Amino acid sequence: MKNSSVSIIVVDDSVQIRRALRSVLTARGYVVHLAETGEQALDLAAEQPPDLVILDLSLPGIGGLDVCRELREWYHGPILILSVRGRDIDKVAALDLGADDYLTKPFSTSELLARIRALLRRVNNRSTAPKVIHFGDVDIDLTRRIVTRAGEYITLTPLEYGILAYLARNANCVVTSNQLIDEVWGDDAPGDTQALRVHISHLRKKIEKDPTVPQYLLTEPGVGFRLSIE
Amino acid sequence: MWGAFLRWDKYGYFFAIICVLAATGVFLLGRDIFAKGQWALLYLLIIVLVAALAGFRASLVASLLSFLTWNYFFLPPYNTLIVHDVKDWLSLAVFLAVGIAMGLQTGRMHDREKMAIARERETILLNRLSAHLVSVASTHAMSEMLIEEIQQVTGTDKSILFLADDSGKLLILPADENIDRSIISLAEWVNRQNKAIGLPDISSLTQLGVKGWPISVPHSSVMTDAVRTDIFLPLQTTTRVEGVLYIGPLPSGKPYTLYHIRLLVSIANLAATFLERQRLEMAAAKIEALRDAENMKSTLVSSVSHELKTPLAAVTATVTSLLEDDIILDADTIRGELSAAKEDLDRLNDQIGALIDLSRLKADAWSPQREWCEFGELVGTLIAKLSINERKRITYTIPPDLPPLFVDSQQLLQALQHLVENALAYSPVDTIVTIGAITNQKEFRLWVEDQGEGIPIAEREHVFEQFYRGASSAHAPSGTGLGLTITSEIIRYHGGRMWIEDVQPHGARFVIALPFSGEGNS
Repeated sequence: MKNSSVSIIVVDDSVQIRRALRSVLTARGYVVHLAETGEQALDLAAEQPPDLVILDLSLPGIGGLDVCRELREWYHGPILILSVRGRDIDKVAALDLGADDYLTKPFSTSELLARIRALLRRVNNRSTAPKVIHFGDVDIDLTRRIVTRAGEYITLTPLEYGILAYLARNANCVVTSNQLIDEVWGDDAPGDTQALRVHISHLRKKIEKDPTVPQYLLTEPGVGFRLSIE
Repeated sequence: MWGAFLRWDKYGYFFAIICVLAATGVFLLGRDIFAKGQWALLYLLIIVLVAALAGFRASLVASLLSFLTWNYFFLPPYNTLIVHDVKDWLSLAVFLAVGIAMGLQTGRMHDREKMAIARERETILLNRLSAHLVSVASTHAMSEMLIEEIQQVTGTDKSILFLADDSGKLLILPADENIDRSIISLAEWVNRQNKAIGLPDISSLTQLGVKGWPISVPHSSVMTDAVRTDIFLPLQTTTRVEGVLYIGPLPSGKPYTLYHIRLLVSIANLAATFLERQRLEMAAAKIEALRDAENMKSTLVSSVSHELKTPLAAVTATVTSLLEDDIILDADTIRGELSAAKEDLDRLNDQIGALIDLSRLKADAWSPQREWCEFGELVGTLIAKLSINERKRITYTIPPDLPPLFVDSQQLLQALQHLVENALAYSPVDTIVTIGAITNQKEFRLWVEDQGEGIPIAEREHVFEQFYRGASSAHAPSGTGLGLTITSEIIRYHGGRMWIEDVQPHGARFVIALPFSGEGNS
């Protein structure tokens, strides 16, 4: 997909951030629509559904979290959250509400562009070809549901595979514990994260070089987990 | 014992009468042994005895009675007051004069001795009180001591100390909720008016010569229930009324003697001096603390503005230089300038972040949200945050069977990150930084060690202070100067300890000890 056909709605109440994002994104060929408030953003998105939404959490009027919740009722494109430091509860809440990733202000342009590309790629990949995720000496074949390490098959329980596959599909993005639990357990979700932690620990023993100090399947304290495959 | 018995005048009169009558009885048995004049001398002896033991007034009674009995029983004709011999009239007159004179002299000595004893007792008591007041530290201890002393000396079973605060409200010591409302309202009146209630009229007390005698009003002038013997004394100093001393009525219902009242006034003056001293000391300490806080605040503000403005100034300089059109810069130079500006901005961001963290910690707005986590997970996450070059310098030694920690994992990660960044910054780039963990029976020990120059012992207690930069920091990259302060605050929040050790052959090891017990770790 050419950037020129990709439209992005930027929702932020600060004029500086809107100005900066417009110039950065337009320079890369994205079509940018700016919204100052949550109401504006929802109107804009309803008029012409964008390919991606960049959403600031602290908005006047309807808050960012409410915008996220309302959007998710009908909008399936990626939502990238902008947040300030120290509001982890909001970040986790936004991710749990269906936001796809978050970026902490201040952020560098390269970081922002990388996140945007990753999110757009994920959308495209949902419909396209089989996918193999590779990190270290581990390969995860998401179509054939096969995981190998240095060419050898690794036996995973269905729950372990579910966790690993979800993390792999969201590679390099933070996934909250609640998202993982919902995804893997569905309606039988346990009330706490204890079971999840146990399975993650087993997974690490199977895929990490040193399970004590994980290098790929990382914990994001207070938020959740992330599969790092850079 | 006699002295105590004869303290009251009426007993003195009885004593005089009994003495003379008893002596007369004895004398009568041997009326014919001595001449009439010699009996007079024996009577004078009795008068002196009475004067010495019971004072002048009693001796006067004894003189008159002796005059009559000597006349009646020992001057012929016996058993009548008639005197035949004219010379005996002279003897009688001389006897009376000598008796009164001797009684006067001896009685005065007796009275002076009594007063001296009273004075001495008073002095001892006041000395003891003031010695105690110097040694007690708290107002509470002072009030207890004072009240006990008053009860011992006077025999009253109720005395109360009211302390006046700056707004003039009274605090009751000892705290007692059952105090009569009228006592409290009278005490408030005394505190407001700076006048005593229930002291004798000052004009009759001039001989007492007590300095600091308060102006007093009778009970009847402040309340209808005038039949009271209790006393309210304002604790007055030169500047204000420090409180009110209440002395309840005697169990016997009798009014207080002058002796007691004078003592009570002295005690009240001592207490007032003590309270004034306490108040002034507290005010001085408060001013001192305020000045310290003010100093700290201004140091902090100047440090903060320095730390924030330095990177900002650098960015401004870089960007404005790029905007100048006096020289044409090539693309590489512009890129170099911009990446320098980016580094300054990163530093500014770190600085602001650290300041926010620190103020949240100091304001108790960032209490730990504890959850179970593995130390190794945190180390893995931390390493992933480092640049490729930094990662190469990190090693770790973490036992695989290390039990999980029950901590705020975000905070602990933050603490660890500050320690690791410090270690990386303060040691040569070709050296290793080691993260370690171990556990014993009581606690977790986590550490970060480098192979730098180490930290001199004299600097160790300062490195946790805000904006402190070690001597070796001159050639180290600039940090926020807050990392170690934040780290130590986080560890303190977790009930842990932190210290610095030497590493052989050279280097520093920052050790964190986190307790298992009471904190959910087991």
